[in-house]
Amino acid sequence: MTLALDMITTAAILFIVASGLLAIFGVLKIINFAHGAWLTVGGYCAVVCAQAGITPWLSLPLAFVVGAALGGLTERFIVRPLYDRPLDAILATWGLGIVVGQLITLGFGRDVQFTESLLPGAVSFAGVDYSLYRLFTLAAALVIGGGFALLLDGTRLGLSARAVIMNEHLARALGLDTAKVRAATFMLGAGLAGLAGALLSPLTSVDPTMGVGWLVGAFMLVMAAGSSFAGLAVACLLFGSAQVIVSTFVSPILGGITVAVLSALVLRIRPKGFSNV
Amino acid sequence: MTKTRIFPALAASALSMGLALASGAAFAQSGDPIRIGVPVGLSGANSVVAPSVVQAAELAVEQINAKGGVLGRPLELVVADDASGAAGAQKAFDSLIFKEEVDVLISMETSAARNAGLPAVQRGRVPYIYTSFYEGRSCSPYLFVNAWVPEQQVPPVVDYLMAEGATKYYLIGSDYAFGRGMLEFAAKYIAETGGEVVGDDYLPMDGTDWTAIISNLKSSGAEALITSTAGGAPNVTLTKQLRGAGVSLPYANLAVDEGTAAAMGADAEGILISASYVTGIESEANAAFLDAMKAKFGEELRTPNDLSVPQYEAVFAYAAAVEKAGDTDTRAVLAALPEVTVTGPRGDITMSRQNHAPLTMYLGQVQADGSVKVVSSFENVDPGEQCPNL
Amino acid sequence: MSDAPALSETSASRPSRRRRAAPRLALLAGTGTALLALALLGPEVFDRFTINVLTRSMIYAMLAITVDLLWGFAGVLTFGQAAFFGVGAYATAMILTHVGSSPALLALALVAAVLIPAAMGWLVGWMSFYHGSTAFYATVISLLVPIVVTQLIYAGGATTGSSSGLVGYWGMDLSLDGYFRLAGVCLAAMTVAALVFVKSDAGRVLTAIRDNELRCAYLGLSPQRIKIRLTAALGAAAGFAGWLYANASGVVAPEISSFVFGTELVVWTALGGRATVLGPVLGALGIDWLSASLSGEMPFLWQLVIGALFVAMIIVLPNGLAALVTRGFGRRGGDPAMGAAPPLVEAPPAAEPGAAPLSDLSAPLLAVRDLSKSYGAHKVLQGIDLEIRPGELVSLVGPNGAGKTTLMRCLTDGDARSGGEAEIAGRSIDGLTPDRIVALGVGRKFQVASVFESLTVAECLRMARVSIDRPSPWASAETLALPAAAIEILRLTGLDRMLGAPVSLLSHGQKQSLELAMVVCLEPRLILLDEPTAGLTKTERATIGAVLRKLTAELGCAAILVEHDLDFVRDISSRIVVLHQGRLVLDGTVEAVVNSDTVREIYSGGGHA
Repeated sequence: MTLALDMITTAAILFIVASGLLAIFGVLKIINFAHGAWLTVGGYCAVVCAQAGITPWLSLPLAFVVGAALGGLTERFIVRPLYDRPLDAILATWGLGIVVGQLITLGFGRDVQFTESLLPGAVSFAGVDYSLYRLFTLAAALVIGGGFALLLDGTRLGLSARAVIMNEHLARALGLDTAKVRAATFMLGAGLAGLAGALLSPLTSVDPTMGVGWLVGAFMLVMAAGSSFAGLAVACLLFGSAQVIVSTFVSPILGGITVAVLSALVLRIRPKGFSNV
Repeated sequence: MTKTRIFPALAASALSMGLALASGAAFAQSGDPIRIGVPVGLSGANSVVAPSVVQAAELAVEQINAKGGVLGRPLELVVADDASGAAGAQKAFDSLIFKEEVDVLISMETSAARNAGLPAVQRGRVPYIYTSFYEGRSCSPYLFVNAWVPEQQVPPVVDYLMAEGATKYYLIGSDYAFGRGMLEFAAKYIAETGGEVVGDDYLPMDGTDWTAIISNLKSSGAEALITSTAGGAPNVTLTKQLRGAGVSLPYANLAVDEGTAAAMGADAEGILISASYVTGIESEANAAFLDAMKAKFGEELRTPNDLSVPQYEAVFAYAAAVEKAGDTDTRAVLAALPEVTVTGPRGDITMSRQNHAPLTMYLGQVQADGSVKVVSSFENVDPGEQCPNL
Repeated sequence: MSDAPALSETSASRPSRRRRAAPRLALLAGTGTALLALALLGPEVFDRFTINVLTRSMIYAMLAITVDLLWGFAGVLTFGQAAFFGVGAYATAMILTHVGSSPALLALALVAAVLIPAAMGWLVGWMSFYHGSTAFYATVISLLVPIVVTQLIYAGGATTGSSSGLVGYWGMDLSLDGYFRLAGVCLAAMTVAALVFVKSDAGRVLTAIRDNELRCAYLGLSPQRIKIRLTAALGAAAGFAGWLYANASGVVAPEISSFVFGTELVVWTALGGRATVLGPVLGALGIDWLSASLSGEMPFLWQLVIGALFVAMIIVLPNGLAALVTRGFGRRGGDPAMGAAPPLVEAPPAAEPGAAPLSDLSAPLLAVRDLSKSYGAHKVLQGIDLEIRPGELVSLVGPNGAGKTTLMRCLTDGDARSGGEAEIAGRSIDGLTPDRIVALGVGRKFQVASVFESLTVAECLRMARVSIDRPSPWASAETLALPAAAIEILRLTGLDRMLGAPVSLLSHGQKQSLELAMVVCLEPRLILLDEPTAGLTKTERATIGAVLRKLTAELGCAAILVEHDLDFVRDISSRIVVLHQGRLVLDGTVEAVVNSDTVREIYSGGGHA
């Protein structure tokens, strides 16, 4: 039972981390290498809340807003000039990640920061004691996933985004302001990254490099997901479970690279990944 | 055998502090300064603790100079950033040895940085006093160590837990030389003393997701937990996630320092730590040291710890060795180093055992308010056969 | 092409070639000599600290060259070169630590340090480059490789020294100065070799792949295979640098194989100037040396400055500092349109091994049965049957969205169609990638001219011959040997006088003609042309018509032409096939089709053609 809970909650956490990246990749067709930096910024929003004595729940919307605002600036000044040079966009966002990391180090120091847990302790669930917060992440992942489904199906932005995902030229020809769609998506993606950072802070520690460790796994998951949120959910469930199984029964050391290596192998054999799911 | 007492020096310097600062070079110091190179991780993983190490070294130099220096020559610190890693250490050591032409290297560094610097130390033929606890068995005629190794840190912890009645142990660590070294020795020691290791698991050095390991731990039937992770994030996340999962076993953490334990708050309560220095050591030398640090750095003070105090003492050990040798000549200093004893905050320390030092170890327990209470102390714990070929 | 005065005469381009060849040679010789002089005289001039730092910087510079070849030239952004370097260094240190040290073991270590990374590079290449893989994917894999390697090093316990690394083994018995000189000589050799290679015909293939991978595939090259080989070769080069490093530094640690170091290499390359070889070398030497001298003063600020500089550089000056320098040179160099151009000569017809004898005119060159293509539930093509024999010129007409271009794609990519059979010269194209289909004797011209924007006209044409004339890895051929038909196209369109011009300066029509000439260079037996006359002047159109007629009627090729201009179609076709809503509705002679009611209906109902 614990194993099953471990698998599901691990998948949920991966989904939370990767969703912002996927939104950007789907619409803008670039990989945002600054994703880790936004994650870190989100974590530090939680720290700021903790230091100011504000309830940690407030750190979630704060992280989203800060992430989105920084995302908006990034899109305008760094990503927009590089739309036709996608590999350079990778590099520029990567460099931005370095800069953000160093700025955080200068501001907060290299130390590990501490935040208050939103929901401390364990609860008895289906016959086992299990971390309450991990169960909460499952709910958070469902909310984010559900939110995306609503956004894509029920709003104008969602409709425009889907149009851009499918065929950008056509979307532009039909009079959609694709630049606006891109900017909005980038802000949303960066905001989600910030939110993910704040959500992760009770589980991990907050330090200037906290985002980096999540990057490669998230990249590979997004690659495997294609441009589909359902695909991402499937990839997270499958590879997250694989990670828990390898960690539990083989070696936690191998578990750490399971997600990335398995994604790579699956993509090699099945280049479309889970995009048709 | 020469014995240098630091704390009278401290008392003297505390009195003459104002005078010393005001009169500057008015002492009977002749000749060039003796230059001490301090390669340390100002950036990278060690940057959390590096400032406290530099402060400790600065205090030591100031106190020695206030007493007239060594052989009439003042000491001078040259600090270089090793970026907490091998590549940075190569640059830092090259710069200190060949560009700054320091007379000695004294520093706390990661094992990778220490190893990366050793070839330069051999080529440049300078003494090198390493002041960080480590996994042991690093040997070079130029290398002296005044901090602890597994043989000194682990037995107090295991002995204590055994006495509390725990016989089944679970070991968790980060997969790197220090983590592995500590836990391998712990496993050996537990077996020797009649206990049983029911499981051991490692996560990559930067890994922070302990989910599967904690689940394994909970189903293992262990009665006590010993961990040795990389400092910083892995350590903090493990503790958080253990508490999150409701684990309440007796828990000894071989990698946590006092400051981190205090910052972790309620999550850290009850954790056992084993160290050669805790701020709560009740001795005249420690009290004088802490006062002097506060007086010198005031608001800027970084809490002294198990890494900065050996740095402080090592400067005195080097000064004593130069006095004894009558010269900064490397060969003479190396011959004198194992013979000088320094009485510092940690007590009497002599690097007499194959370039390592027998130490008094303290077993502490983190209290609810984050402070560390000394549960018991173990005097003169032997580092064992670290470098039989020296 | 308009009747504007030609840019230069054939004869006039000769001296200009010499003019450019001379500075290039001087640059090579100058670079080589300067680096060698640094290597040999350095120990006399520098203090010990500088010697130590520069020895390492020079080894890092060798790595920067490998990054530049992959990223700057071939367009493969990689963070993974550190992994190959680390594996080479660790292989060396592990042999010297655990087996022992002797000249024989040092040699063994060298072999291991080159072969293991090469094999690894091949594997990584295989993972990264396959038909349909994206550039992002390769980059992310390149990020994964160092992470996996570093993890293995940490997990290796005493074998790899884990986090502490390995130290205290005996490398080559050289002094500090000796290692400095060795590293310097190796760097000089590698720099000169890289400079020679990138200017050679084989080296230009890398640039062609970066510019336009699809075009490369349709010139019969396999970009995947070339990139895999390149990754393996540069893995070996990085491994060699690792061997040198393990010897010179006397210590190996996990961070030399980390992706952080891998990104540093990219940063140096970017700041120095990608695709210049010299830029990355100077970038690596300069920044590594500066950081050794400065970072002690302001460790965090230093990284912040480098990071910010890097972002600004990528956005504002993507080609790095070297671009500033060469831009200055370029202006003084005179008219960029008059580049080097080798004289044209006629190539003997290529042998076609394994092809069906051309004399067998009755056998269909292309046979398609019941071909279909669908995207999900949407059927784009269905039930297509088509046979084409040598000498036929078949026009494919139909309104927009009828599926014409999709059909072309299904005929040139074995994985593209959803159902049915397609054979070329009696062979099924099942599962064949475009380059393999091109090898069967197919040439394809795209709707939008697909050429190589950073190459010259002559270089583009040479690319089209790479699958036939093996290019030299160290020299640029003296002459440009092309089939007679291609030369004729160049003559008719005036491109023969612009061989040295960069493609980016050509007009739209000139690019179309150039692409046609490139396709003809392949000496195909079946040519697929997607609107070759779109946007051309009447004269140009007539020229292309003449060429096509000659190719089919005189040389026995077959051609499929997608065309909207019905007058043009009527003039040159031997047969017309009409596609409507994904179905083949008519297949007959020009007369029959042009006068059919069906066609009139389609075109009046389906909007303007």
